[in-house]
Amino acid sequence: MFLLLCFCKLFVTAVEMLTVVHWVKPGRTKSNHIQDIQNSDYPSSCCCDSRLILMAPTNQVLLKESSNVRTIILNRPKQLNALSLEMISRLSEVFHSYEEDPNVKLIIMKGEGRAFCAGGDVAAVVNDINKGSWKLGAFFFSKEFALNYFLATYTKPQVSLLRGIVMGGGAGVSIHGRFRVVTDNTVFAMPETALGLFPDVGASYYLSRLPGFFGEYVGLTGARLDGAEMLACGLATHFVPLEKLSLLEDALCKANSGDPKIISNIINGFSNKNPKLKEKSQYFRLKIIDRCFSRRTVEEIISALEKEADKSADDWILWTIQSLKKASPTSLKISLRSIREGRLQGVGQCLTREYRMVCTVMRGEFSRDFFEGCRALLLDKDKTPKWKPSKLELVGNDMVDRYFAALDDKDWKDLKLPARSSLPSYAISKL
Amino acid sequence: MDSSSPSPSSSSSMDRVNFRTQVLTRHLQNNQTPATDLLHTAPCLNYSPPELSEPAASFDTKSLRKLLDGQSIEDIDYIFNLMIQSKLFCPRERGGKVFIAPDFNQSMEQQREMTMRRIDYLREQGAFDGWFSKKGPEGDLWRFALAESVSVYDHSLGIKLGVHFFLWGGAIRFMGTKRHHDKWFKPTETYEVKGCFAMTELGHGSNVRGIETVTRYDASTGEFIINTPCESAQKYWIGGAANHATHTVVFSQLEINGVNQGVHAFIAQIRDGNGNICPNIRIADCGHKIGLNGVDNGRIWFDNLRIPRENLLNSVADVSPDGQYLSAIKDPDQRFAAFLAPLTSGRVTIAASAMNTTKVGLAIAIRYSLSRRAFSIRPNEPEVLLLDYPSHQRRLLPLLAKTYALSFASNYLKMMYVKRTPESIKTVHVVSSALKAVLTWHCMRTLQECREACGGQGLKTENHVGHLKSEYDVQLTFEGDNNVLMQQISKALLAEFLAAKKRNKPIKGLGLEHLNKPAPIIPTHLTSSTLRTTQFQTDIFCIRERDLLHRFVTEVSQYQAQGESKEHTFTVTYQTAEDLGRAFSDRLVLQTYLDVEATIPAGPLKSVLSLMRSMYTTIVLDEDASFLRYGYLSTDNAAVVRKEVLKLCSELRPHALSLVSSFGIPDAFLAPIAFNWVDANAWSSV
Repeated sequence: MFLLLCFCKLFVTAVEMLTVVHWVKPGRTKSNHIQDIQNSDYPSSCCCDSRLILMAPTNQVLLKESSNVRTIILNRPKQLNALSLEMISRLSEVFHSYEEDPNVKLIIMKGEGRAFCAGGDVAAVVNDINKGSWKLGAFFFSKEFALNYFLATYTKPQVSLLRGIVMGGGAGVSIHGRFRVVTDNTVFAMPETALGLFPDVGASYYLSRLPGFFGEYVGLTGARLDGAEMLACGLATHFVPLEKLSLLEDALCKANSGDPKIISNIINGFSNKNPKLKEKSQYFRLKIIDRCFSRRTVEEIISALEKEADKSADDWILWTIQSLKKASPTSLKISLRSIREGRLQGVGQCLTREYRMVCTVMRGEFSRDFFEGCRALLLDKDKTPKWKPSKLELVGNDMVDRYFAALDDKDWKDLKLPARSSLPSYAISKL
Repeated sequence: MDSSSPSPSSSSSMDRVNFRTQVLTRHLQNNQTPATDLLHTAPCLNYSPPELSEPAASFDTKSLRKLLDGQSIEDIDYIFNLMIQSKLFCPRERGGKVFIAPDFNQSMEQQREMTMRRIDYLREQGAFDGWFSKKGPEGDLWRFALAESVSVYDHSLGIKLGVHFFLWGGAIRFMGTKRHHDKWFKPTETYEVKGCFAMTELGHGSNVRGIETVTRYDASTGEFIINTPCESAQKYWIGGAANHATHTVVFSQLEINGVNQGVHAFIAQIRDGNGNICPNIRIADCGHKIGLNGVDNGRIWFDNLRIPRENLLNSVADVSPDGQYLSAIKDPDQRFAAFLAPLTSGRVTIAASAMNTTKVGLAIAIRYSLSRRAFSIRPNEPEVLLLDYPSHQRRLLPLLAKTYALSFASNYLKMMYVKRTPESIKTVHVVSSALKAVLTWHCMRTLQECREACGGQGLKTENHVGHLKSEYDVQLTFEGDNNVLMQQISKALLAEFLAAKKRNKPIKGLGLEHLNKPAPIIPTHLTSSTLRTTQFQTDIFCIRERDLLHRFVTEVSQYQAQGESKEHTFTVTYQTAEDLGRAFSDRLVLQTYLDVEATIPAGPLKSVLSLMRSMYTTIVLDEDASFLRYGYLSTDNAAVVRKEVLKLCSELRPHALSLVSSFGIPDAFLAPIAFNWVDANAWSSV
């Protein structure tokens, strides 16, 4: 999760005209999910301020209904649709009710404005933690990760239309779904290591399943991918030119089908099957990426990159080395281990482990890099975070181990994932 | 209709045609089931992941895996990562999951090339960097972890790597001296030199001292001349020799001035850099095998091949330029033992790999038994899960508990090896012989049981359990035939016993100290709770070892009193020797298990460990005939034991899934039947 504030300066376009339909309120779920959030496990110390928003109806998530198709629109365009706790709760509620509702066959998800979603609302989380306790942060992530798991194991097809920015938490609510449609202006990144965090929202599951060691590269450097690159590596399932996106949406609504084959055929009808990778695409560097990012440790990865740079230095390789050197050393080490463990685990295990990690980060006992990263990049904007420990060699294995262990806190519990029964295989693994 | 039948206008044949038409019509009509009937057919079977139906683990599965893989977890998982991410390891999607396994439908030649390419890939990622420079116990453990983890993917890959690094590299390291290290370590690590290990001959396998290859020294040129004097002296089963190896270590009798100095090892080049076979060398293929076809086993003949004097691996003995034989160890028996002792590492890896393969088989069979159902007990009720049948539990769960016990023993052996001292070499040799035999036998037996427990699905190569039997069968034979090893253990125990007696001192080492104490007393009437005490379990295993050792001593001394030679005596006392070998191994395994258990604080993990220990000891009591044969158990008590097995099975049943999950074998290395086997076999996946 990540909110890249520099993008805030982007001009946010006028609200797109919505053609079909009437706005609807989703039916209350039978699962009492919202009550869960409000009553049961929310830390008692945080009954004040921002939480009240949760009760107040706002329109951060808009819903559109067209016979058996539902369109979910992330609607916080000024914040590039960064996910607030309210949005996460709302999405959970909506997805739960849609799964149970036999009238719903297909779910389309998109963002209002220029971005799909720039991540989780980290600034708000940091604010909460500073005012209250790290457990407020933990609560936010428990809800977000539970949503990620729900989407990863969703039984109905979800088509995400990824216009503009898709980062961190934005990837978490789209990449786990069945169809990921990218376009000319899509920008994807998992830039957490620059912020003192690590690629979460189930990224250790989906990044580790990219070809070769591209996932390690994307996760450690925070490299930005465009639509063509996302399609090439498998993060996206289709590339549809920008001008055809709304036609595609209409066609999906008109077809009114939940059959993945039919949906896939419709999207194919609008797709560019072979969008050209740009001349200097990093995807052409797969061989070097595999050679270097397959190494055992972060130190070895950097030294392998430096060896490559000795042979032939170019902008890309220098940028790659630079971005690793700028990132939080602790973040790099826990991120690498997380991706490597994630490769051998299911999505549920990945999210459970990431939850341990994120709670350890939020608690800030071993490193406060996350708070320092937020200060330097989001608040003071001096862009020169002072990481502590400051060097890779100062981050020992014992310290890394701590992030993967259960927290030593009597109120803390491992992430509780929603029970999913009798899932077909396609619901378990979509990537 | 027969084409030679008479004209079709004949009435009889016309009748037949009409009749046939009617039958076909009826047949087709019957097939057109009315649509409404479809609604009444039984519901289709769905796959339900065992994770949803089984109870959550009562203990921390990560902690249990730590007991199995210890400090090597990261090393092992790293190699798993490397293999999963490369197309060379043949990823395949089945039932929504990706599995990796070699394509065993490829020809032998293709499989061999793939093995080599996989090694090249691992080398390019730096996986072998530091093979010769990593020192101390950590270095040894890292090397073991590497060899074991590649074997989880494919035994051929493990063996091909093992021959090059452990056998060829190990021979250079342990039998060679500085001049060999300086010359060969680096090109071996980078695979510029591909090594093999020419010990076994057509005529001699386990009896290495009987090999017939002869090497003489030519002082005029300062060269050794290696010769294969007869067909039975051809080198046989030499892994790597048929296609890839450029160099070999040759084991040969060394004859100096007409005196045979015994078996020595030499370095010889067998191929040039372009892969052409060198002059004075002939190589032939061992051909297609029942398994392990990814390894190019070959045969080698040496036709008076000349090699430089420096190529003698001279850690124990040397030949001076003028042809004098020099050795610090005068006794040829001792010289031979000192020579081969460092090669024990091979048995350590074999034992450890056998356990990994067993884990793969059990994880697959148990996961399948938690999702496959057969027969309803009452009409209209759902069919019963395989593992809910007590008989199915009896087949798999004792093997599961035994696998944990033997894995702990394998770790004990590993630690004993990495911390070895000159004094402990003999113990390492005895323990590694015992465990190599016991663990590999357990592996084969478990795979066979798993194959049967998976029914027809066990026969499919992609489901591993059946196919692994042929891939791993060789482990019962290489690095010492298991039966021969078991007899050797008894010989070693006898020697220890007699030596202590002769010195009139208490016996020490090999865990035999219990012999110095009075014999334990076994209760006359066993109960379920007695069977589960560590006291009883230790006592009955010790009393069996003590009694069998005494019997063996008596038997041997009786034969020798009759004037029989030592050799003859051992060939006729093999029955007691084998019983004793097993008694020693079982007691050793129990001892290492108790040591592991003692490190765990009271809690759910310790409870499940103690349950598995009781399962392990009780199943040994139930299955090994020696307890009844020699009267350690009365028939009444044997009946109590048998009942207890069933009870233990039902108590272990709820832990089955968490116990196989704790093995830490990634899903990608298991098989489609371990997961959604309905989708994996759906028409849409055809």
